[in-house]
Amino acid sequence: MGRTGILLETDNGEIKESNYGMITAARGAGDTEMYGFLIGGEAASCKEAVQKYGICRVVEITSDAGDLATRPEKQTDALIAAMKNYDIRFLVGLSSSRGRDLMARVAAKLDAPLAVDCIDLNLEDQIVTKSHFSGKTLARLKLCGDMLICGVRPNAVEPQEAPCEADAEVFAAQVKDDGRMVVTEAKGSAAGQVELTEANIIITGGRPIGSAENFSLLNECANLLGAAVGASRAAVDAGYAPHSMQVGQTGKTVSPKLYIACGLSGSVQHFAGMKTAKIIVAINTDKHAPIFGKSDYGILGDLFEIVPALTEALKDQTSQ
Amino acid sequence: MHIYILLKSILVTALLIAGFGIFTIRVRRLFRIMKSVKGQADSKVDRPAERIKVLLTDVLGQSNVRRKRMPGLAHTLIFFGFLAVQPHSVELMINGVCPAFHVANIVPGFYGVYLFVADILAFPVLVGLGYAIYRRVIVQPAYLTDGLDARLIILFTSVIIITFYFINAFLTIPSIGGGFDYARYFTISNLVKNIFNLGSLSPAGSRAGYEIAYWLHLLTILGFLVYIPGSKHLHLLAAVPNVFLKPLDRPKAMIKTDIEDEDAETFGLGNVADLNWKNVLDLYACTECGRCEEQCPADMTGKPLSPKRLVHDLKLDLFDQSAKLLKGEFASVEPLLRDGSPLSDDVLWSCTTCRACEEICPVNIQHLDIVLEARKHQVLMESNFPPEMQETFNNLENQSNPWGFSSDTRGDWCKGLDVPLITDHPDADILYYVGCAGSFDDRGIRISRAIVNVLKKADVDFAVLGPEERCNGDMARRAGNEYLAQMMIQEKVEILNQYKPQKILTGCPHCFNTFKNEYSEFGAGYDVVHHSEFLLELTKQKRLKHKESKFEKLTFHDSCYLGRWNGLIEAPRELLRLSGLSRNLIELNRTKTKGLCCGAGGGRMFMEENIGKRINIERAEEIVAAKVPTIAAACPYCTIMLRDGIADLNGTNVVYDIAEIIDMVTV
Repeated sequence: MGRTGILLETDNGEIKESNYGMITAARGAGDTEMYGFLIGGEAASCKEAVQKYGICRVVEITSDAGDLATRPEKQTDALIAAMKNYDIRFLVGLSSSRGRDLMARVAAKLDAPLAVDCIDLNLEDQIVTKSHFSGKTLARLKLCGDMLICGVRPNAVEPQEAPCEADAEVFAAQVKDDGRMVVTEAKGSAAGQVELTEANIIITGGRPIGSAENFSLLNECANLLGAAVGASRAAVDAGYAPHSMQVGQTGKTVSPKLYIACGLSGSVQHFAGMKTAKIIVAINTDKHAPIFGKSDYGILGDLFEIVPALTEALKDQTSQ
Repeated sequence: MHIYILLKSILVTALLIAGFGIFTIRVRRLFRIMKSVKGQADSKVDRPAERIKVLLTDVLGQSNVRRKRMPGLAHTLIFFGFLAVQPHSVELMINGVCPAFHVANIVPGFYGVYLFVADILAFPVLVGLGYAIYRRVIVQPAYLTDGLDARLIILFTSVIIITFYFINAFLTIPSIGGGFDYARYFTISNLVKNIFNLGSLSPAGSRAGYEIAYWLHLLTILGFLVYIPGSKHLHLLAAVPNVFLKPLDRPKAMIKTDIEDEDAETFGLGNVADLNWKNVLDLYACTECGRCEEQCPADMTGKPLSPKRLVHDLKLDLFDQSAKLLKGEFASVEPLLRDGSPLSDDVLWSCTTCRACEEICPVNIQHLDIVLEARKHQVLMESNFPPEMQETFNNLENQSNPWGFSSDTRGDWCKGLDVPLITDHPDADILYYVGCAGSFDDRGIRISRAIVNVLKKADVDFAVLGPEERCNGDMARRAGNEYLAQMMIQEKVEILNQYKPQKILTGCPHCFNTFKNEYSEFGAGYDVVHHSEFLLELTKQKRLKHKESKFEKLTFHDSCYLGRWNGLIEAPRELLRLSGLSRNLIELNRTKTKGLCCGAGGGRMFMEENIGKRINIERAEEIVAAKVPTIAAACPYCTIMLRDGIADLNGTNVVYDIAEIIDMVTV
């Protein structure tokens, strides 16, 4: 049936959790040989993590034309070179912002069909499943072509292990720099910060937080929890937090496992952005605040007392 | 002398032909531009009697202009005086060509009376123009366009009036005026003659003076004539037809686009070729008085939108591209939103559709027809809209509410209230249509529950759609997503037609407006009433029992879609007065037809407001400064916006919906 290339994504050199479900989807019945491609990250150190899910060879793609990290067009050429080198027929990656970018470029260059945001794959029959209208309907698409490129929605497929022994190797791609793109500056997001839309835990501050400085209270707690910090529209409007932190109708839509709302009234505009959170904990001094009607746990109290107490408790726990 | 008269006759003839010729060519071009645009206008000349009445009141009565007192008065003075001197000027023109011609020889009595009137009416023009100069030089309101154009027009008009007086002053001298006793009919001209002692001039001197005044007068008029079609003074020509063609009814629907039309190459207003002739007439009619800008909530809070500039910029764009339009080269007409154009995304999306501009416009320009059609084009053709609207559009499409709550929970708000569903009670007198905010927003739910309480107190036979209810499509439509809106409307129409309600009661002015003014076009024209009207009716029928109220001072905040869009200005106030609150009711400065928008209309509720000051803060500041403890609103979106604005200012004023207030003051 042909080999499958898995476009692996890493975070600080480590394989992201969301890869495993994607690998599981690509593996299907298991009669395909899976090669893991790494652009950024070391094959040797990542091998352990992915061989558990059935990847038999981990290929670290490097380039003689300098750093690939900030150059999507070079990454594209390098990836295509690797695919040709290893005779890859299917390329599967995550429908993340990076995956969507890179896979679309590859598909265009190879003139291959591309399906992103899939929630299930059947590579043998070349059929992918996508969800439409917020999950009301499912579409099964048959893709025609010798090569297929598929993006899998993060966390859509439950990871299943299928251990094997993987080799690790480095593939140095010949990439030409056509000079059409010049990187003048690369800015990373602040180290240690978790992206709101990908976070499992979010702690959000409302207007009662009172100032931008007071957000450090939430930041401290969030660091211990491994959480991202969000803000309500009122807090953003008051200038306490940037718009990139805004959760709600006109900000980010999030769906964490745990959402801690500190000093939020729970307006419908805010709730619209986090209604899919699994567990909502509300901290508010007003017992009539609508947020209590929507939360799983409510703490009636001042966030300036509760949050530091929570931080202390977490510190105690980690030090033990 | 004979040679001079002959030469004058030839020269005047030539100048008249040239002046009127150029004027005609320029006006014809304007007319051709108006006919060249592709858009379909639904303006029609119906109800002629009413339209003639409009001409009598709005144009001759100047009632519309005088809504702004001092400038309106100045305009009235200029208007009548300028009109009054015109026949005299025409006579002078004819007389220049044919020196033997004098109206005095034909109808001396009538002519004398006319001169008497014109002589008096002309003077106030100078007073009016003096005021116009005073405003431009001393007062300088920001909304008023000043510049060479405005000053030239004032200069032209002043010269015409001043030379009018000098000509007439000379005419009172028998050697100039001939056999007709001009002095008998003139008042001010006689005064001019005496002040300047013109009577003491030699016959040759007075003749020379007369001729100089004559030529100045004639040349200025002809210059003015040639100048008008290219200036903002085009309103002299376009305002009257525009006022005559104005929509006679206040409520209006958005233009229904035929989205099923398979031959349509484009939807909405993408470039000036997509305008319709009435839009173009609107652009011509604008005189840049700036009243719209003064009222516009976007402009006053520092957004790049000003209705006046929008009209002006669009007019310039139309003229810039008129050569292509006249040649029919529509494909090469540049898009409205393009690099370097003052018309930008932010201009279009800053509009709250509050309609304050249309309301105040003295020449009835329909600004929103332009804004809403331009948005439609951006959304349907360019997929260009504020990114945060994407989620709202998705939610509306999938769950039929802007927040994306599961539509099967739409009826949950009335849990425990024992509200009948229309499926169980199809013969109900009233179908209470709750709306999205009333169904999902906590604040809105409290309002809906208050409405239900009051309905029950008055023993009204009503039912709700519950989980069957859908969004009416207003937000999507005003945000330019006509396709989505029509899809939603279709769905809603089918549901309504299934039950054929006798009367629909809405708790939200947006639902009210859409059902009342837009649904009949989609096959569901039902009797619709907003709760302010309905509760008033119940109060008048004495179906509500009032009790002692705890309210101190309170004020009513007008919802745009209730007041300006549908003229429901007195109903909510009367409701409050009849509910024992007549002594408590005070008015804010910006109220009734000049009420300030809360900032949420036109889909703005679901967009970020990053430019300038927030509109709800602007309104909240007024409320906090007025020290009025209670604000009555009649729209759930106003309630939310005002509450948030007041909270931002740490104000203690409380916003209630009128239904909540009525619920509190009744038993």
